[in-house]
Amino acid sequence: MLNFSRFVLTRAVMALITLIIVSLVVFSLMELVPGDCAERYLAFKNTQGSGISVEDIEIERQRLGLDQPFLARWGSWIINAFQGEFGDSCILRVNIAQLLGDKFMLSLTICLASLALAYAIAIPVGIISAATNNPWLNNGLRLFSYLGLAMPNFLLALMIMLVSTVWFGETLTGLFSKEYRDAPWDWDKFVDLMKHAWLPIFILGWSATAFALQTVRALMSDEIGKLYVTAAAARGVHGRKLLWRYPARHALGPIVNSLGFDLNRIFNELPIVALILTLTEAGALLIEALARSNDQQLAGAIIFLLTASIVTLNFFTDILLAVIDPRVRKSILR
Amino acid sequence: MSDTPSNPTDPNLAQTTGPHVAIVETEDAVERRAKEAYFTASQGQLIWARFRKQRAAMIAACVLVFLILSGLFAPFLSPYDPTIAGRDKDYTNGAPQIPMFCDKNGCSARPFIHGVERERSMATNFRWVTKVNEDERLYVKFFVDGDRYKLFGLIKMDTHLFGVEGGKIHIFGTDEDGQDIFSRTLHAIWTSMKVGTIGVVIAFVLALIIGGVSGYYGGWIDGVIQMITDAVRTVPAIPLFMAVAAFMPPEMTAEARFFYISMILGLIGWPTLARRVRTHLLTERNQEYVLAAQLCGAGPGHVIRRHLLPSFTSYIIVDLVISFPYMVLSETALSFIGLGLKDPVSSLGVMLQKATSADVLLNYQWYFIPVLFFIALVMAFVFVGDGLRDAADPYSDAHK
Repeated sequence: MLNFSRFVLTRAVMALITLIIVSLVVFSLMELVPGDCAERYLAFKNTQGSGISVEDIEIERQRLGLDQPFLARWGSWIINAFQGEFGDSCILRVNIAQLLGDKFMLSLTICLASLALAYAIAIPVGIISAATNNPWLNNGLRLFSYLGLAMPNFLLALMIMLVSTVWFGETLTGLFSKEYRDAPWDWDKFVDLMKHAWLPIFILGWSATAFALQTVRALMSDEIGKLYVTAAAARGVHGRKLLWRYPARHALGPIVNSLGFDLNRIFNELPIVALILTLTEAGALLIEALARSNDQQLAGAIIFLLTASIVTLNFFTDILLAVIDPRVRKSILR
Repeated sequence: MSDTPSNPTDPNLAQTTGPHVAIVETEDAVERRAKEAYFTASQGQLIWARFRKQRAAMIAACVLVFLILSGLFAPFLSPYDPTIAGRDKDYTNGAPQIPMFCDKNGCSARPFIHGVERERSMATNFRWVTKVNEDERLYVKFFVDGDRYKLFGLIKMDTHLFGVEGGKIHIFGTDEDGQDIFSRTLHAIWTSMKVGTIGVVIAFVLALIIGGVSGYYGGWIDGVIQMITDAVRTVPAIPLFMAVAAFMPPEMTAEARFFYISMILGLIGWPTLARRVRTHLLTERNQEYVLAAQLCGAGPGHVIRRHLLPSFTSYIIVDLVISFPYMVLSETALSFIGLGLKDPVSSLGVMLQKATSADVLLNYQWYFIPVLFFIALVMAFVFVGDGLRDAADPYSDAHK
């Protein structure tokens, strides 16, 4: 037990270090975006008619603390970030924590739901595909799963929208109906969300299925040829019981381990789908902040929150793996 | 087992089979030679023999070869230049023109299409309207002279596979600038191939170095490198791109931009591959055959070259094939949101940028024909990757 808590502690420290490294990367990336907040504030003023000079920009820089050295700014940024405080957005001039509100949680929920959908398809299909002798079943299942990868997801979104608009007269854009948009969270709002959110979840989940399936299939084919499986079969275990109790248990370990990175991959696709379905969650805000308005504060905050979620997820999957896989448990309790 | 041609270097069966296959003596010579070939075949031959047995993978491989060839010969196969230079300004947003043999004026042995003309008058509300002239026939001709191009970037030519007499043919239609979609599609396939190849090669070299160091030394070096790799994997790719895209000066040429994008794709894609190289090295390093070789007095250089590398080259090739479509897809997605390639270069993402409006979806569906090619390309790669993976796995025969 003592060993186990030491393991958890080491993992937590490592996760923290990873998060700090990543935050440095993210912060430097945001520095690379041309221009800074001070210029953007004043550029806005300029559009309102008042003239600005270089001195004005310098004063603004000092006010925002942008004249501090890089590392000092990073330090204060990361300390604030851990307290959930990201300062004000450069363009929209509102508090970022307030602006993001539950939008980030919404995005995270959509991504996690897609992840769950992807593995709900990939695990059974991957196991069947690796174990079956029937080429038609194998190829058919794979064809369907890979189609999700090969179809660009923006196209899929477009087509589903078109079909629903033309034939059912119902637009599938957005995440909430009008009456629920600003309503406090309750059951009805949740139901309304689910009525809208299934489409992005389906699209993201389907395209993530292919990668998950390839992983499951590869791991499963590796395990299924091993001697312990033959031994189990010789003892009279067969069929579904054999697959699930022996090779599948070993094959699924590495998958648990990579869930965090799958989440990253799904989130990467979210902005594109969000763009087409006119969703108003964090993915859409991210693309808005990065591609359109160069709002580094907002973009940095979103990316930091995302990486923090991924690192947290990785931390929990590491612990989970140690709990469920006796081999990992043995190696840490030694 | 397999019908791989037997190895010509050892015709004497009795000498090479050894005592342990004495049972085989009762079988007839043909079968024994087949077995012989199986046991003496090189790894490449074995993989090919197993790969050939998988029908889905073979079909995918044929599709892939076909697509690669059509991309390679794109300038010759496509009737017009894919850029704005080859546009047909009299036929913008034009529907696909399918060559036909018959129309209301009778049949002809040579395929033809109808001529089109543009007009603007009171009747059309003073907008340019394209009208098909059913009485004018444009006959399809082969090996016609047209826009100049360089085949493989070297050979100067101006012959195209097909065209029509006194007009232009657009079998996939044209986009809003009048550019031929068929020509653009073929060039886009080649663009994707190039982006994927450059990206994969860069990612592979990085992965081999980083994963190799990590797996070979192990210990704390491995720990540190793995932590950095994980950190890089955690940063989402899109913001990475945006930041690097900020470096790209807007006056950058399309070619330079293209190389830049493929380089970035490679620079972002290495962690997954590096992890696999490391895992292979770590597991293989402790295998009995490595120990056996070491006990026989083999030096580390010999062990790496003769034992470790062959043990995972097949896996690495498979990983490369598998990661290829992901590179292509990221390029498409990036170009689609306007951060990747820009207009003079033909790529699927660029071509679909304008196709998001409902107007295009409802009226100009031929904008989406290239998508079919890309679905085929990605599917072919994925299936070939799967097939290669199964074929490279020496145990795949054991349970199938």
